[in-house]
Amino acid sequence: MAAQILAVGIFLLMFVLIVMDKIERHIVTLLCGSATFIFVFGLCMRSMNAITETLNLRNIFTVGFWYEAGQSAENGSGINWATIIFIAGMMIMVEGMARAGFFRWLCLAIAKAVNYQVVPIFVTFMIMSGILAMFIDSITVILFLAAVTIELARVLKFNPVPVILAEVFCANLGGSATMCGDPPNIIIGTSLGYSFGDFISNTGVMAGISMIFIVIYFYFCFRGELRKSTVAASNGEKVSYPDPKDAITNKKDFVLSCIIFLCAVVMLVTHAQTGLTVAFIGTFIGIITLLAAGKDALTLIKKVDYKTLLFFIGLFMVVGGLELTGILEVIASFIGKISNGNVLLMVAIIMFLSAFASAFVDNIPFAATMIPVIQSLAITENASLDILAWALSMGTDVGGSATPIGASANVVGTSVAAKEGYPIGWGQYCKTAVPATLIVLVISMVCIVVRYF
Amino acid sequence: MEKKQVIIAIGREYGSGGHAIAEKLAERFELPFYDHNLLDEIANEKNIDVNNLQKYDEVPRNRLFSRTVKGYSNSPEEVIANMQFDFLRQKAEAGNSFVVVGRCAETILKDYKGLISIFILGDMDKKKARVAEIYNMSETAAESKIMRHDKKRKSYHNYYCEGKWGDSRNYDLTINSSKMGIEGTKDILEEYIKGRMETFD
Repeated sequence: MAAQILAVGIFLLMFVLIVMDKIERHIVTLLCGSATFIFVFGLCMRSMNAITETLNLRNIFTVGFWYEAGQSAENGSGINWATIIFIAGMMIMVEGMARAGFFRWLCLAIAKAVNYQVVPIFVTFMIMSGILAMFIDSITVILFLAAVTIELARVLKFNPVPVILAEVFCANLGGSATMCGDPPNIIIGTSLGYSFGDFISNTGVMAGISMIFIVIYFYFCFRGELRKSTVAASNGEKVSYPDPKDAITNKKDFVLSCIIFLCAVVMLVTHAQTGLTVAFIGTFIGIITLLAAGKDALTLIKKVDYKTLLFFIGLFMVVGGLELTGILEVIASFIGKISNGNVLLMVAIIMFLSAFASAFVDNIPFAATMIPVIQSLAITENASLDILAWALSMGTDVGGSATPIGASANVVGTSVAAKEGYPIGWGQYCKTAVPATLIVLVISMVCIVVRYF
Repeated sequence: MEKKQVIIAIGREYGSGGHAIAEKLAERFELPFYDHNLLDEIANEKNIDVNNLQKYDEVPRNRLFSRTVKGYSNSPEEVIANMQFDFLRQKAEAGNSFVVVGRCAETILKDYKGLISIFILGDMDKKKARVAEIYNMSETAAESKIMRHDKKRKSYHNYYCEGKWGDSRNYDLTINSSKMGIEGTKDILEEYIKGRMETFD
């Protein structure tokens, strides 16, 4: 009992400290993770086993961690090394692509393809944001898209805020479509043994249908603003448009980064067939990028966001404490009780609770905590784990879109806009994002009901 | 002989007349004066509408509703504060002399030799009377206005700076403007600044 109370106390303290944003979040999770090891596992449980189980290092040295014929879940609880290794590999790849000018080139090439017309730019950038975010972390996608949007806004004289708001939303929505699009999905996929194909055929379908409605929704929200821009843009004077070719810093690096990106996409799409795990894919892609970078490899390694990786490690340690003390089973049985065995109600609770929580707190710790809860629900309440997993995925990924602090892409997008002189407050952000989030949640719920019930 | 750089950074309590004193000092020493007009210059440089920025000027970041990811903050208040700090640093780095009111300048520019930092405070009864007269309001309303503004300034300052707002250890000189009035305080500060300028080698 003391161990349970302590584990919950440390977990809540971690959340409060993350929200307060005074101490860097990787330091918060590592300190709280260490406190879990010392006080919960050491002093209360006196269990060395709990520590080794949570550290989960042995798992890395098994064949199944790198290659698995068929799908398999990450063994045991504790630190999900597959997620961490995969994210590290993708970070290196993305750094390589950014250095070669890939993202800026892509944005400018699309703007050129639609003849620098404001409304087509608005629509194509939304779609591009969603598609890129399926494979690349949403922070990088938004960082480049928002910067190019502002650059084009200056030339074409349109207000970039509506476009950035729509891009941010679509990046989060695109991320929910695949296993590698958003950290909660990577954790859900590796923990529960789902493949890329599982995600794309479930959350991918929900995200795809939602995307159609969202593009229409944002168009109607901002059509007045965009029309004003079109008038301003057609006001005579000759403008010089930025050339996509100028974005490419080095042709060789550019071609190589495109090839590596395609390799990553192919490997991810086919990983259920090839048996290669995401940990393998992350490592392989990371190494290939470093080899291709040659003498600049060290610069790429230095640019890896190790703080995020440490944040994940600390987070899994704290969640390991909750898991091994059995507190998450208590939460699961509580959800089971209030839904009275009604699986549909359970799914609705998981999805809307996740969405609400993710709108205000980091969705990664939330998803990591909820995975053992849905596992336990599936066993005790005889609910389908798959349906609960898709509800959790959509809830955490899309819920984060509702507020400026709900997801990393929102923070980065609003920050880039403010730095260029277009501050976006909570009111302006939520006015369009909250209804859009509700639209996607309702569509996802309808998809689940139609398909699985 | 080349003119030495002098940067006069003035922090102030609301109603103390610090802003008016700073303006007079800028006139006296024929220096550019920066207050909220900093945003006009930033908006001009970036070719944007200054009205978009004004409501976030010297406003503290709301901790509960803000988040920072990889050094990017969603808080417009924080982004605009940093824009102003960068602007001041650029001006100082370019060797310009100027007078600046608030905006954490005493901390942001502390590494510049030519910095003279001053904090101007006042007695509550005098501040109340001044604010009540300027804004044509009751003294009770003036007092709550003073408290509200000072709370905001303190929280804004203390978020970005290690030294506390109004703490004498944080400034070269702190002075109570209620004792000698705005003109008298300005005269004393003028003498002090002249004296300091002579020490710049």
